[in-house]
Amino acid sequence: MRGYSVAASASRKMIKAVVFLACLIPLGMLTYGLLTNGLGANPVKAIIHGTGVWTLRLLLLTLLVTPLRRIFGWAWPIAVRRMLGLFAFFYALLHLFTYLLLDQSFDWQAVVHDVVKRPFITAGMLAFTLMVPLAATSTNAMVRRLGRNWKRLHRLAYVIPALGVLHYYWLVKADVRAPLAYGAVLAMLLGLRLWWRYRSRVSGRPAAVGARVVMPAARRG
Amino acid sequence: MVIPWVGFPLADLLKRFQPTSRAKYVKFVTLYDPEQMPGQRWPVLKWPYVEGLRMDEAMHPLTLLAVGLYGKVLPNQNGAPLRLVVPWKYGFKSIKSIVAIRLQEEQPMTAWHRAAPREYGFYSNVNPHVDHPRWSQARERRIGEWFKRPTQMFNGYGDQVAHLYAGMDLKKYF
Repeated sequence: MRGYSVAASASRKMIKAVVFLACLIPLGMLTYGLLTNGLGANPVKAIIHGTGVWTLRLLLLTLLVTPLRRIFGWAWPIAVRRMLGLFAFFYALLHLFTYLLLDQSFDWQAVVHDVVKRPFITAGMLAFTLMVPLAATSTNAMVRRLGRNWKRLHRLAYVIPALGVLHYYWLVKADVRAPLAYGAVLAMLLGLRLWWRYRSRVSGRPAAVGARVVMPAARRG
Repeated sequence: MVIPWVGFPLADLLKRFQPTSRAKYVKFVTLYDPEQMPGQRWPVLKWPYVEGLRMDEAMHPLTLLAVGLYGKVLPNQNGAPLRLVVPWKYGFKSIKSIVAIRLQEEQPMTAWHRAAPREYGFYSNVNPHVDHPRWSQARERRIGEWFKRPTQMFNGYGDQVAHLYAGMDLKKYF
């Protein structure tokens, strides 16, 4: 039994390391493109767009963790959910920083004007602001300290990507296919949760019964 | 981006057809060929792409028909074989790969105006004081530069073209 849990924790470390490195690939690609003149005619646009889109992708990945567990019984993604969320925050920070630096040259008056007047900036800034408390309460100590409230607070993880999709939808000129595709993925991920809730209410069983396998690796620690 | 176009004034071409006083506007149409132009396979805009100018704008010596840039023949993506260049207007007015030019009495319905009339007007003169409803038009980034710079009225061609719009409310005719 002991040997098994050591093996599980070793493989969990391995998974974490792989996911950590994978999450750095977009940053690496953007940096490489920047240094080798490979970001096209408008590198600034490529950087701002790239960091934004990866924020959204990582946010959606965090929402994929529970469906993977409930549908396929995979427990290992839970071990990397926090990391995915923090990387989403990391890319959001880069996105915000590049906007402030390259689009606004740190002209704070212009930034405030933008946030107030441009709905797509308002949505993006609100999404970022809501990510801050989630990142700040992501440590084990904060999870323990906040108890039940931690879960309540982290339900913002459903709201933030919705704001992200809206932010994207409002900024495209005419071709709304990409933002709608992200919106559809988000709708599916949130729709699943609503469906499970509805079903558990109808059958009177708590929602968690749907989890088929609980592996040792899924324990919090 | 400041581009050294190779071309000739549109006026030179139009004069050959001896436009009458009924020619109030010029309508331009882009080639519709989804095989060659895969972007047209999806109805992002109502194809074919249509643009237009008022006659006096079209006859202005700064309005060019371009056949090249940087001393070379126009590449396909830049609007080969023939494209319009209207340097004091937003880029989408400079219609590419023109297959039809029509002189007419009515103001043509342009592709972007049709798609979003609140966001894109017929004139589309570069104007830092009139924002797009969703974003500011006060500053721009030139391709090749990291930071934005203030956008100039009529893209810096005010001395040459401002008289065309004397007395017009440019907030209304954006």
